[in-house]
Amino acid sequence: MTRTIWLASYPKSGNTWFRMLVANLSAKDGKPVDINDLPERGGIASARGPFDYLTLIDSGLLTHDEIDCLRPRVYEELARGALDDEYDKPQDAPPVRFAKVHDAYTRTPKGEPLLAGARGAQGAIVIVRDPRDVAPSLANHHRCSIDEAITFMSDRHGLYDAKQLRQKLPRWSGHVESWLDQTDIPVHLIRYEDMLADTLGTFRGALEFAGRPARDEAIRRAVAFTDFAELRRQEQEKGFSETPRRPGGQFFRRGVAGAWRDELSAEQVARIEAAHAEMMRRLGYELASAMPKCEPMVRHPEVPPPYPPPHAGEGRVGASKGDSPGAPAASFEARLWRAPQDDADEINRSQVPLI
Amino acid sequence: MPRAFILTGKQVQFYRVSGLSVASEIELPGLIAGTAEPAPQVTIRRGAVPEHLPHAAAAGPTWQIAGKQFLLRIPDIARFLLNSGSEIVVEPESDATAADVPIFILGTVFGILLHQREQIVLHASAVRVNGRAVLFCGSSGAGKSTLAAALAQRGYPLVTDDICTLTLDAAGAPLVHSDGRQLKLWAQAIDRLDLAQQRGERVRQSLEKFYVAPGEVFTEPLALGAVYALRETRPPHKPGIDRPNVVDAALLLRGNAYQPLLVRRLGQKANYFHAATTIANVAGIFFLTRALDFAKMAEVIAMLEAHWLDLRLMERAA
Repeated sequence: MTRTIWLASYPKSGNTWFRMLVANLSAKDGKPVDINDLPERGGIASARGPFDYLTLIDSGLLTHDEIDCLRPRVYEELARGALDDEYDKPQDAPPVRFAKVHDAYTRTPKGEPLLAGARGAQGAIVIVRDPRDVAPSLANHHRCSIDEAITFMSDRHGLYDAKQLRQKLPRWSGHVESWLDQTDIPVHLIRYEDMLADTLGTFRGALEFAGRPARDEAIRRAVAFTDFAELRRQEQEKGFSETPRRPGGQFFRRGVAGAWRDELSAEQVARIEAAHAEMMRRLGYELASAMPKCEPMVRHPEVPPPYPPPHAGEGRVGASKGDSPGAPAASFEARLWRAPQDDADEINRSQVPLI
Repeated sequence: MPRAFILTGKQVQFYRVSGLSVASEIELPGLIAGTAEPAPQVTIRRGAVPEHLPHAAAAGPTWQIAGKQFLLRIPDIARFLLNSGSEIVVEPESDATAADVPIFILGTVFGILLHQREQIVLHASAVRVNGRAVLFCGSSGAGKSTLAAALAQRGYPLVTDDICTLTLDAAGAPLVHSDGRQLKLWAQAIDRLDLAQQRGERVRQSLEKFYVAPGEVFTEPLALGAVYALRETRPPHKPGIDRPNVVDAALLLRGNAYQPLLVRRLGQKANYFHAATTIANVAGIFFLTRALDFAKMAEVIAMLEAHWLDLRLMERAA
């Protein structure tokens, strides 16, 4: 049976890049897969399409809490292969269904894991990115100021909820913590910065965790086909369905690590670090501002560390490697704040194949 | 189709729903009143509904099928038992949720019933254009109701909202049935379309979604003019009206069935394929791609009117 693996991340942390990598494992005719035509059908967990399709109920007539109570049933059903028989040929179904999710790992009002725990997926690849790089990217995506993005990332009640099902994003660090510290399913943690520095090795490790076998040659090709310049070229040439809806909007913006050094003010850096120091240390993101020492992390006693210790190559992170400095500060001037999901740029297409 | 269960001794109201005569113990807001004679095709009553069906042959997150019985459970709201496409038994799960029941009967539950009756039922809103029904299909949030409401303001009366039943007449031509059901619109759309005067009750106490009265109510079935599947302008789709080939059109129609899962589970694929080829021939199935933006509504309507002239649905001004 097809295994289900969550691709869990806070927004703007490399989830789409990872999905493009997976899609390009099956690239045909020696050409990169069209960024608007990814063959994978997993979709995002918060899409309304599969919920409405499987429950027969218009989710627009339910409250967020009512929806949450039903969501575990939907993920169980999807994990059991509810959409697999939609493939014309059974052999077309991939061995692993990678399902994107931005929701934090939370529980429903009835106390169940929202994502159905081990009945919803066999594991989770958790992708994290330096929050100092997430903030400017989030601001670009949602057309808000960086300060507003930083505020959102510190909001315990952060929500994405306009067009998709409501997603709880309880602070950037709360989000990451919810995934790393849950004990329902195994986790494989990858950092965006490591994906950049060693795409091949990081991707291969994630595929091994997922149980998605791929020949080395296919992995190499997928890496080449999802080079940032290629994704950017495709976006500029024909547009991308997830690009922010506004003139000049870009999804593939810079694709670098450490750009915060030329995009954030010292005060902004300090705000992020003050709010998220503990999790940043845990993930190996070196703090730039002087911070008081934190207590050492306490983990759940019976549970082995769900992720490897911070990588040896910590110095890479935030080292401005590959930066293209000079993005004009003016482009990040405060703009009218719109609720982060007002434009619901992330996929919310039904994800349900035509039957 | 067995005769409907006869309701007696209780407050019963009669309606026309998607072309069917209905007797109901539960008030269904906004629908056209029907008559007691001839005997109703569908009855809706309150009663005990089990949590599970014994020997269910198929099941999903909220439903089970056993023979001619279909059980739907909307947790904490109500359970619905549908028998042979002719009877709906309703058991609210609490007193507090009883008021929320009608909206689910009108949509989800009636959709299932129509599938049980092997009818073609689309996820579509429709307006009347020069005596014919023009349908706008799409999933929840695609903008069906908003577009229909805007067209109604332009003088194209509302035929149906959200759910649209097609039947074939004696000559095999598709007919669309209106039942006077009200539009369901979010507060924002009501505001942007300046429909506050027609705004009715909330569809549920807990939602910012309201019933909006249609301007004109009529009951005669209409011939089909055109079917549009709504699509948002996002790469690679550019704004405009496109006509897919007949195979894609057939898939499109099936994908825009109301509750497409049931088309598969109740073995209706061939029926939909047949309906799609008929519709593609007599009316046409199109994609309507446009920005989801109230500010662009006038452009979208102009594009549609130009298309209706091309299709000869509308007369060209002399």
